[in-house]
Amino acid sequence: MIAVYISFPMKAKVFWQLKNITMFFPGVVALNNVSLDIYKGEILGLVGENGSGKSTLIKCLSGIYQPQKGEFYYQGKPVKISSSMLARKLGVSTVYQEFSLVPTLTVTENIFLGRLMKDKKGFVDWGTMYEKTKSILDTLKIDIDPNKIIYNLSVAEQQLVEIAKGYTANGSLVILDEPTTALTAPDIKRLHELLRRLASTGHTIIYISHRINEVIEVVDRIAVLKNGELAGIANISEITMNGIVKMMSGRHIAEHYPKQCNVQNEVILKVENITTENGVNGVSFEIRKGEVFGLAGLLGSGRTEIARALFGVDKITSGKIYFKGKKVKFNNPRQAIEAGIAYITENRKTDGLFFNLNGPKNSTTAKIKKLFRSNRLRILDLKKECKIYDESNKKLKIEPMSKYKMVGFLSGGNQQKVVVSRWLFSEADFFIMDEPTQGIDIGARLEVYNIINELMAASKSILLISSDYLELISMSDTIGNLKFGRITSIKDAKDVDKKLIINSSV
Amino acid sequence: MNAKLKKKSISVSNFIGPLIAALLVAVVVGFTTDRFWDLDNLNNLALAVSIIALLSIGSTLVIFIGGIDLSVGSMIALITMAMSTLLKFGGWPIAAGLLFAVILGAILGAFNGVFTAYLRVPAFISTLAGLSIFRGAAFLFNNGSPIFSISENFEIIFYGKLFGTIPLAFIYVAVFYIFFILFMKYSKLGREIYAVGGNETAAKLSGINVKKVKFIAFIIAGAMAGVASILMASRLNSGSPNYGSGMELSAIAAAVIGGASLSGGRGNIINTLFGALTIIIVQNGMNLNAVPTSLQGITLGLIILIAVLIDMWKAEVAELFKKLIKKKV
Ligand SMILES: Nc1ncnc2c1ncn2[C@@H]1O[C@H](COP(=O)(O)OP(=O)(O)OP(=O)(O)O)[C@@H](O)[C@H]1O
Ligand SMILES: [Mg+2]
Repeated sequence: MIAVYISFPMKAKVFWQLKNITMFFPGVVALNNVSLDIYKGEILGLVGENGSGKSTLIKCLSGIYQPQKGEFYYQGKPVKISSSMLARKLGVSTVYQEFSLVPTLTVTENIFLGRLMKDKKGFVDWGTMYEKTKSILDTLKIDIDPNKIIYNLSVAEQQLVEIAKGYTANGSLVILDEPTTALTAPDIKRLHELLRRLASTGHTIIYISHRINEVIEVVDRIAVLKNGELAGIANISEITMNGIVKMMSGRHIAEHYPKQCNVQNEVILKVENITTENGVNGVSFEIRKGEVFGLAGLLGSGRTEIARALFGVDKITSGKIYFKGKKVKFNNPRQAIEAGIAYITENRKTDGLFFNLNGPKNSTTAKIKKLFRSNRLRILDLKKECKIYDESNKKLKIEPMSKYKMVGFLSGGNQQKVVVSRWLFSEADFFIMDEPTQGIDIGARLEVYNIINELMAASKSILLISSDYLELISMSDTIGNLKFGRITSIKDAKDVDKKLIINSSV
Repeated sequence: MNAKLKKKSISVSNFIGPLIAALLVAVVVGFTTDRFWDLDNLNNLALAVSIIALLSIGSTLVIFIGGIDLSVGSMIALITMAMSTLLKFGGWPIAAGLLFAVILGAILGAFNGVFTAYLRVPAFISTLAGLSIFRGAAFLFNNGSPIFSISENFEIIFYGKLFGTIPLAFIYVAVFYIFFILFMKYSKLGREIYAVGGNETAAKLSGINVKKVKFIAFIIAGAMAGVASILMASRLNSGSPNYGSGMELSAIAAAVIGGASLSGGRGNIINTLFGALTIIIVQNGMNLNAVPTSLQGITLGLIILIAVLIDMWKAEVAELFKKLIKKKV
């Protein structure tokens, strides 16, 4: 392995130093002798495949985990980061990959969690905190009511609140672990501007993301982790996207979006003028067999709400749905699944995973019946379960240990793959995919695209929702543009210009 | 290879804790009195364990779905009274009476289930109401007095021995535990119980009928209370409106000591058996040492607290042990 060690502008001061950080969990070495200098005022990109140790590394730096070996130096002095409180005292503020917001509290309460402001009499000063939150959100151009309960926010909105929270902590070292998986281009652009502004005022930033093309736009240097080791580190001007991908995965990826076209004439899903109480406003469209229908739209445009309405989660107040030629009305997800619909949900933590179960058990829940030994002997065949899991493992490259581990102990990307595998197992005819590749590394993402192609070749259909425009336009056959819960245009994906989507949605 | 090793160690460590707890308690109690290891005492112990062990199977399933059932103790009172009435005054054949006990239990469980699963009353409240209602209803029978001598030889159900050697109570425990261990592992419903306990929203979005699963868990808890009632009634050949009082706590304690997480989704049925053993051994030890009843209640409460604390701080406790071991080596 060629390790390129190049230092960021020679004059910059080393701010944090990591030396030989080693951390293992039962059965895995998550970090192996990682040494890294972090310079004052830089934006350092941290990339690597799923399970390569990125989150573990920043959790060590944030005092969540204590590495078994290695030292940290803060401005040249050795420090022991034995708790997250201590890390915060050292100026580390972290936006974690798994959301750390309290779902039942408001935005304000979450942002000031653990450091409530008091007035002179010693009472909690809600008024001031509300005002402060409002002004912070305004500065960051985030349009969310501070009084909203987190539970009612979409994943993207939650991500924005996380970012605002990290920003408010005003750390000298700001760490962001995949903060953009559900954000659309304008929000990401704003985040990047914010990061540059922070860096220019002396803050240091570590930025983790799988969207390499976005990372290279904003970072000064990029560090690559592979199997828990530092595979390389380079100034961004001296390395290309392909170079980074090569370093991450050890292979060259020529085509990032291997789209095949398989659209047939027969319509499988026809939606007529549907409306729901939470933001779908008279939406009509058709999806044919073998077609990927992409939904484009900004935060709050109603993409996820359409998915929920189709899957029987939210009640449809008016309009009709025809599925496989028959008029249908799903009162709950169970009926939708029985009719042959699958739904990869956007929020794997609250809506997707069973953290008390291991990988195989998580991946079969949508069609447990398939494990029956026979129609009459309704006993689960656990060997079959493992065998099927191994197969989807081969395709999706889920961490092998996930066969035994509860999914809570898997890396974020691997958790997402488990959710995807569940719905492939369900053998549906129509797949609703809401941010299916969030947090999944480039190599495995390619596999997901290949799977999409296979499904299309087998006459299945997909409703694709993705905040990643390149993915959405490249993998869809048709694009419906959504605005305020209404479809404003339906076009052939080939005729859609990337910039056009971003602009017309704004 | 590594993965295989890991798998083994995971499944072993899953029930090693509660088993050790039970053994430890036995050894300690054995030190306090030499009567503990008497064959007669052990026999008594096994009989005493059987009722709690069977009752707590249901409590455990309800805890798995993230609920709690406070009413099973009162169910025992109502069921023993109703069954005794039918057998003694109604002239029902014994087999019909036994079947009736289990069915009545299931119906009472369904009552809890309707309120909890379908009408969304928190389990704690609905079963607390059940606790009061069922106990009250038990007093409606026979003017509120116990019914003695239900039927000739009724004790055989509890005290009987197969081939003159193996206590029947043993066999009931073995049969029900084996059944429910297999049920949780190999049945669709068992899997769904874990899923609902783990993440209700995700379960619903995976097409699981969450309400039905919860409903059934309560029904099973009721039916198991019916089974426990049969043994209770057979033990003294009587029914009483005072039977079972406080037993819901012992049953919950057995589950919790066995490592079932009160937030749902985590735990193993087999561990509940070890949990029940632990409790009964402690109780037996206190009885042998003539500890007053008041202290017995306090002890049971403290045991529950300790078990929950250990469960909550599992990782930290394990870490502590590791450090201690390292230091010694
Ligand atoms: N709490 C834990 N218990 C056990 N193993 C863990 C735990 N957290 C992480 N691991 C393991 O450590 C390795 C590194 O995981 P980590 O979360 O750091 O990966 P990552 O680079 O952040 O991946 P992703 O891109 O998927 O988020 C993985 O093999 C993972 O399974
Ligand atoms: Mg991660």
